[in-house]
Formats: sequence, C-alpha cells, structure tokens
Amino acid sequence: MSSTALGVLLVVVSTMVEGFGQTFLKKSALDVARRHHWILLGVAVLIVEVLLYSGALRFLAVSTAFPITSLSFVMVTLLSHWLLGERVTPLRWAGVGLILIGTSLIVAQA
Amino acid sequence: MTGARFPLKLVIGLAVAIALDTALQLVWKTGVADMPDTSSLRELAVAVVRCPIFILVVALMAAQLVNWLKVLDHADLSYAKPFTSLSYITVCVLSVVVLGEHIAPLQIVGIAIVIAGVWCVSQTGHATLRDEAKPE
Repeated sequence: MSSTALGVLLVVVSTMVEGFGQTFLKKSALDVARRHHWILLGVAVLIVEVLLYSGALRFLAVSTAFPITSLSFVMVTLLSHWLLGERVTPLRWAGVGLILIGTSLIVAQA
Repeated sequence: MTGARFPLKLVIGLAVAIALDTALQLVWKTGVADMPDTSSLRELAVAVVRCPIFILVVALMAAQLVNWLKVLDHADLSYAKPFTSLSYITVCVLSVVVLGEHIAPLQIVGIAIVIAGVWCVSQTGHATLRDEAKPE
C-alpha cells in the first residue's frame, strides 16, 4: 500500500471513529443513569480520532486530508440512524449531501 | 414523528458551538504556525507544553464539549451535527476579513451550497420522539 493510500485510509477511519465518538456523547443524553460513562467513552474515542488524523498527516498534505474529513457528516448521520434510532428524512439526507459537497469545495480551495 | 418546534436554547447552543469551533480553528491555526519545524516528537511535545496558546486550545475544547453536551440534550445528533458545518464558512470569511486571505470563486459556491444544505436540515424536526413505538 502506498503512503498516500495509507494516509487516505487513516483519514477515512478517523471520520468513522468520530462518528462513534459523537454517538457515545449523544448516548449520554439518552442513558442518564450512565451519563458519565458515555461521556468518558465519547471523549476517549474522540482523542483516538485526533491521533489517527495526526498520523494521517504524516502521509498526506492537510489540503488533501481536510476535505476528506467532511465525510464525518455522513458517518454521524448513518450512525445516528443505525445506533440511536434517529429518524433521518430524505430532506435531512439531501442537506447532509449538500454540506459534504460544499465543505469539500471550501477547504479544497483553501 | 419528529419534534417540530425550534427551541431558543437550541438556537443559542448551536450558535455557541459554531462560535467556539471557529475560535478553536483560528487559535489552533495560529498555534501551529508558531511550532518549530521539527520531526522530533519529543521536541514538538515540549514546544506544545511551553506554548500558552495551547492552554487556550484546551480551554476552548472543554467549553465546546460542555456546550455540545447541552445541545445534544435538546436535539438529535443527526440534526445538530450538520449545523457545525457553518464554522467552515465563518473560518473562511474571518480568514478573508481578519487575515486578508484570498477567497476563490469555488469557495463562494461552496459557501452557498453549505448554506443550502443547512437550510434543508433545519426544515426537518430537531428531535425524534422516542416513546412513539411504546404500546398503549
């Protein structure tokens, strides 16, 4: 595997990890009895995400890596639906899709 | 069914989340620019600890976490998270206004598309009602 491919893989994995971290933080609002456990787990997972992203930057330029991070909006929406049972309407999906395109254009040109 | 109203607490929470995210990105950018150009992790770690701006970064992250948890008390994650994309716009605009950076035409298109996306999300209910499936 080339170093660029490894960098891209690390960024994609970091966006998935962020999705799980955010899901755990939301779980803290739904499972009040174990609120602090979910918060600690969420924060720990988000720290792992930062480490993975930092690792990816050893193989990729920020201008390449940063646009890929907008995938986190898709990951968070998917996991919110699958793991939290949130109702994601077609209009919300359309919004997430537009945000993915828009943020990629903003950061890719920065 | 989904909740239809848009509580003021949620509006304020999302606005604070965007403001904190913007501040964090700008402060982080400044801090990274001051870092020594070294490949040694030890040297980098020492430089980070000695740099007062990173104390500000940690404080902003803590404030962001506290505010975000309050936002998630009032809204679905899949509803709240897309609003944070507005910080891409605020950072871009502030970089032009404050730092005098150039903005490309495609970035302006990107800003318009993000606003359209956030508008779409804002038209959906902010919270899934979780007791709807319970039997009578």
